[in-house]
Amino acid sequence: MSKLSSIQDAVQSIENGALLALGGNALHRSPIAFVLELIRQEKKDLSLIKTAGALDVDLLALSKSIRSVYAGYIGFEMLGLAQNYRKGVQNGEITVYEHACASVIAALRASIYGVSFQPINGFDGSSLPELTGLIKWISCPFTNKKTAVVAALKPDVTIIHTNIADEKGNAYIDGSVYEDLIMVKAARRTIITTEKVISSTEWKEKPQIPGFLVERVVHAEKGAAPGSCAPLYTIDDHEVHSYLKNPKKYLERKVAVSHV
Amino acid sequence: MSNVITVEPADYMTVAMARIIQDGERVFHGVASPIPAVAIQLAKKLHAKNAVYLSIAGYVDAVPSQFSHTSTAGAHLGEGAVSEFLLSDIFDLSARGELDVAFLGGAQIDQYGRINLSAIGSFANPKVRLPGGAGSAALLPTVKRAILWKTTHDKRSFVDKLDVITAAGNTAYVITPLAIFKRGNQGKLQLYSIFPYSSFDEVVEHTGFPIEKHDHFHKFHPITEQEFTILQEIDKNNTRFSEFR
Repeated sequence: MSKLSSIQDAVQSIENGALLALGGNALHRSPIAFVLELIRQEKKDLSLIKTAGALDVDLLALSKSIRSVYAGYIGFEMLGLAQNYRKGVQNGEITVYEHACASVIAALRASIYGVSFQPINGFDGSSLPELTGLIKWISCPFTNKKTAVVAALKPDVTIIHTNIADEKGNAYIDGSVYEDLIMVKAARRTIITTEKVISSTEWKEKPQIPGFLVERVVHAEKGAAPGSCAPLYTIDDHEVHSYLKNPKKYLERKVAVSHV
Repeated sequence: MSNVITVEPADYMTVAMARIIQDGERVFHGVASPIPAVAIQLAKKLHAKNAVYLSIAGYVDAVPSQFSHTSTAGAHLGEGAVSEFLLSDIFDLSARGELDVAFLGGAQIDQYGRINLSAIGSFANPKVRLPGGAGSAALLPTVKRAILWKTTHDKRSFVDKLDVITAAGNTAYVITPLAIFKRGNQGKLQLYSIFPYSSFDEVVEHTGFPIEKHDHFHKFHPITEQEFTILQEIDKNNTRFSEFR
């Protein structure tokens, strides 16, 4: 049976309060078309998992759709802070579970391994374990060595944007893969948005994501814009600047019309 | 008449970083790191041809034909790369003690080379919520040498006490538009080198923690013609200036 779905139906399957992992990194290949549809459908109380987030998280902060964020970094790199995320946190609307990017990965790996926590080397001297409660120190049962452990993160849904996918859910990422494969393996279910849909008999590349892990495939051309999706398009600096200059106006324009 | 060449703080910072990278070292940079990205290429074209370039884009030994003013996380940093090595692989490499150099930043840096990228004010009720430390809480304690940099050198950035300790660990150098600090006695940063337009007094005046001179304190050795020429070739778009606003 085909897993192809409209973006509207795919987003309808997301419950308020869900824990979502969003693929991509910073302004690169994050599922922006999906994020905009989440906002159109007025999803609320979402929690997000990202290693490094930017426009995706900031849009959802602006629309007041999120209650917490598990991430290592949220910002626009050389373009500055994620202002709506910053305000949401400062107003107490968003709880930040600040991780290192490495501990987001470790927390996802715990779910991949089917265990509730994951040892990780790091965090010595950092206040984050004490401030977030997400990292605890244990004594290794074999060596007695003091070891940091991170609680598992199991996304209810992982959403990643890919270059090519077929109707069975097999999907291929050209360019940087980032943490997407880890996010897919850790999740209860996965939704793929994709630049191009092909038939499963047409593959020339080897998909990194096996269809059996994927629940739905959404055709979303330019689904990561104004971020990049290599090698098809780079960051649209003009659009990103217009967002940063007037986020509300940008969002109103994007919410009014779906391009997918 | 020869052209007058203006050498900017960004040029000094880039060359200073490049000179610290040693041949054969495995070197990493993450998001928002235009100066390190250029410095690694510069080192690899000069004295560190066998340095291994690793980045958040997830590739080994890329030779990007150009850099971006917006981001240092994109797949353009895979151009010319031989193989993939994902960010998760890089964290694992550092965790097992096999990453030599990581470039990390800080909104605040203290005299122990610890950093705050989490919040100004308290963590729970921040005056300003900052982006977060990205990989630093895992990398700083495990990488062999971290090189920190910051494009502003003032008392708000170089503080006696961090509002939040995001990460602590193996800071070896800190590079600013004025000077280079090196970790010395008792794990404290000491003033190692100053750039030609700067002075000891100026550094003291703009630093929020007490300044000691390192045993090998010196004026920064002038940028060579070769360094400057190659730097301009590598960074045709002048992205090394993109952090200065």
